[in-house]
Amino acid sequence: MNNLMRTALVFCLLLGAVAVHSESKPVGYSAAALYNLANSYARADKPGMAILNYERASLLSPDDPDVQANLRLVRASAHLPAETPDGFDRIARIATTFWVSWLGVFGLTLVGGSLIVAQLSSRHRLVRGVALLLGVSMIGLTLGSALALWPRLHQGVVIAAATPVRVSPVPMGDPLFSLPEGEKVKITAEHDGFALIETRAGRAGWISDSKFAPIVPR
Amino acid sequence: MSKGHHTRNIWLAALGLLGVLFAAAAARADEPLVYATIQPAQIQLGESAQFTITNLGDGTTPITLPVVSGLKFEIIARTHEVQLINGTTLPSSSIVMRVTPQIAGIFTIPAVTPKAQPLVLQVTAASSGTNIPHPAGPGAANPPPILFGGSIPKGVRLTDDGSAYVRLSIPKREVYVGESVPVEMEVGMRSGFVSSLNGLPKLTDDNFALNNLSHQPERTEKQINGETFVVLTWRSTLAVVKPGSFALSAEVPLTVKIRTRPKRESSLDDRFGDPFWQNLFGATVPKDINVTSPAQELTVHELPAEGRPADFHGAIGTFGIASDVSPAKADVGDPLTLRMRVTGSGNFDRVDSSMLDHLDQWKTYPPKSSFNSSDPLGLSGMKTFEQPVIAAKPGVQELPALTFSYFDPNKRRYETVRSASLSVSISPSLADSQTAPGTPSTSVSPETKYTAGLRPDHVETTATPSLIPLYLQPNFLPVPSILVLAFAAGWVGARRRRGVGERESVSDRIASRAAKRVLAQMQAAARVGDTAQFFDSARTALQSVLAARWQLALEEITTTEVEGRVGEENEIRQLFALADEAKYSGRKLNATDFARWQRIVRQHLMSDNAT
Repeated sequence: MNNLMRTALVFCLLLGAVAVHSESKPVGYSAAALYNLANSYARADKPGMAILNYERASLLSPDDPDVQANLRLVRASAHLPAETPDGFDRIARIATTFWVSWLGVFGLTLVGGSLIVAQLSSRHRLVRGVALLLGVSMIGLTLGSALALWPRLHQGVVIAAATPVRVSPVPMGDPLFSLPEGEKVKITAEHDGFALIETRAGRAGWISDSKFAPIVPR
Repeated sequence: MSKGHHTRNIWLAALGLLGVLFAAAAARADEPLVYATIQPAQIQLGESAQFTITNLGDGTTPITLPVVSGLKFEIIARTHEVQLINGTTLPSSSIVMRVTPQIAGIFTIPAVTPKAQPLVLQVTAASSGTNIPHPAGPGAANPPPILFGGSIPKGVRLTDDGSAYVRLSIPKREVYVGESVPVEMEVGMRSGFVSSLNGLPKLTDDNFALNNLSHQPERTEKQINGETFVVLTWRSTLAVVKPGSFALSAEVPLTVKIRTRPKRESSLDDRFGDPFWQNLFGATVPKDINVTSPAQELTVHELPAEGRPADFHGAIGTFGIASDVSPAKADVGDPLTLRMRVTGSGNFDRVDSSMLDHLDQWKTYPPKSSFNSSDPLGLSGMKTFEQPVIAAKPGVQELPALTFSYFDPNKRRYETVRSASLSVSISPSLADSQTAPGTPSTSVSPETKYTAGLRPDHVETTATPSLIPLYLQPNFLPVPSILVLAFAAGWVGARRRRGVGERESVSDRIASRAAKRVLAQMQAAARVGDTAQFFDSARTALQSVLAARWQLALEEITTTEVEGRVGEENEIRQLFALADEAKYSGRKLNATDFARWQRIVRQHLMSDNAT
């Protein structure tokens, strides 16, 4: 028993050190600030930048209904097709990613503790079972959120009207087609000031970095 | 062929024509009395056809002589005849005209009277001449020249038969390697004497190349010694590939018509003295010849190595440059177009520039060029270079002056011209902007399509360093990782401990069963009063226990060993002694003693299992 207590103490110290380290970086983004910035762009008739900042705010605060409502409104005003949320999106909108992250850690603790206690004692089976189920649910919630938000980490938003998509990553490359402002695209590669993008329709081409912005800044 | 033979042919042709006219008149008496015929209806450029207008009436019908652009009509004969057929007098008159095409094509000769039908003459371009039969072999006598002597323009040297000439005109006598020099090649062909032009003119020296030689030359007519020459003129540029002194001339392949017999042997030729009649009566045959111009002396100099600029790409001539950039205002990352316009005259095919390369604060791309010529030869005009450039930083950025180097053949030295530097105002990119646009979020702004129904702003909260969800950030990932490792280690440890406990429990169960078995044996021995069996069972059980406890072999657990370890007064040592005594002396115990020793043995066996 003494060994276990010592191990738990060391673990808690390590966890605290990591948490302090993770919080020691300079701050830069807040969901509210991004949301307000997006509103400003919407008022300035810049739907591309507005959608970009709503998407960024949505990353930090997927559960904010105002972000989702204004994002839908601006997309509709810009004549962009509506996005249908899937199951993972609904999971991601349960809480902010901060709380979902620590919920996952807590779930991991519950699962691990339940399994260890089960090895040590055969008593309180019901309590152990409930804790295990709760822990697994919390971990599942975190994984679902990650699956919902992962594609958005590799997407960008077109911020200029009628942005040409070119056949090659050079300014004089022949244009293949053009994208409307606010269109969300998948970034598959980058080269010398250009990004190879893929639209929802599956069309691909090169777009200048000045005409679009990734949702997660590089 | 004799003179009488020719005369007979003429009369036969005339009779045939009259017969045709008579049959036509008899069959279609209501038709117009004026006819026009052309023979042959298809000829090659350089040949002539005979156009005949026949009037079978009284001559009152008005006749319009044809005028067709590209066809030359010449009246060569007028005839009046009166024929008596079946007692009827038929007067007729004819106008015989020679039709000479000036260009190839299909010509429609309008009707000579309102009721007559138009005629069609097809003129094909001159063939290569390979199918044209050649005149007599090497042994044949040279035909006499058709045109002799006379004054001719400067630079023109007629062929021996006077049928054609080629003239090469070069405006300069000294040029530089790579320089484009305008040249003019003039091919004169005497009307009716040249049947075909078999190829484009070319230079006789392989060290020169003709550029942009047009397939459609300029066509004029020229009188030389009173004879009409069709003159075709090609203009081109001459490119010189190596230095030296050269005698340059041009040549062109032609097919000419030459007479097959001396002039004095043909009385008809003497009578008419015209190639048309020679064609008509087969007095000439075609012959392929190459007509060469008089040589022109040309000196070609090597470009000097001294003073050659590093950016010289071979442009020779006189040039000037100008530059501009558009748009003048852009965002960071937006491509701008920098243009350099090179104007002047010279070899524009060698006018090249890499424009700006490796410029700080700018990303540059290779330029592309286009050329707009102001003359047909491309010697003068404007070449425009367009280079995409992208500013890397905001602010007022400067594009440095552009330079262009060329060799001026008039000044005989290299020249470098320079444009003015350009300033561009670059704004920060929207994508990099973290500040709100011009309209403050809290101010009241006019409603737009994006603001109708927009939910209000939020109160700003604490910020995070990254947009990446916490559970995907590298700083956070050690937390679940350490947790997983710790719990895995704890689980393994707990499982190991549980395994040891389980093993001990099993061993305890086994020992307990053995002890019970020994005690049962002792109980049975006590019941029958068998003291030796009683103590033997007890000693055997205790030997096993002590051997395990002392880490000794079973046979090493003797009375002496027990006495040495636990002392002489110990119950176990006494039990071992009583066991020996009972075995050899047959000592009997009462029930009380049996019970006492049974309790002692049980106590030792059970206590050993517990530890």
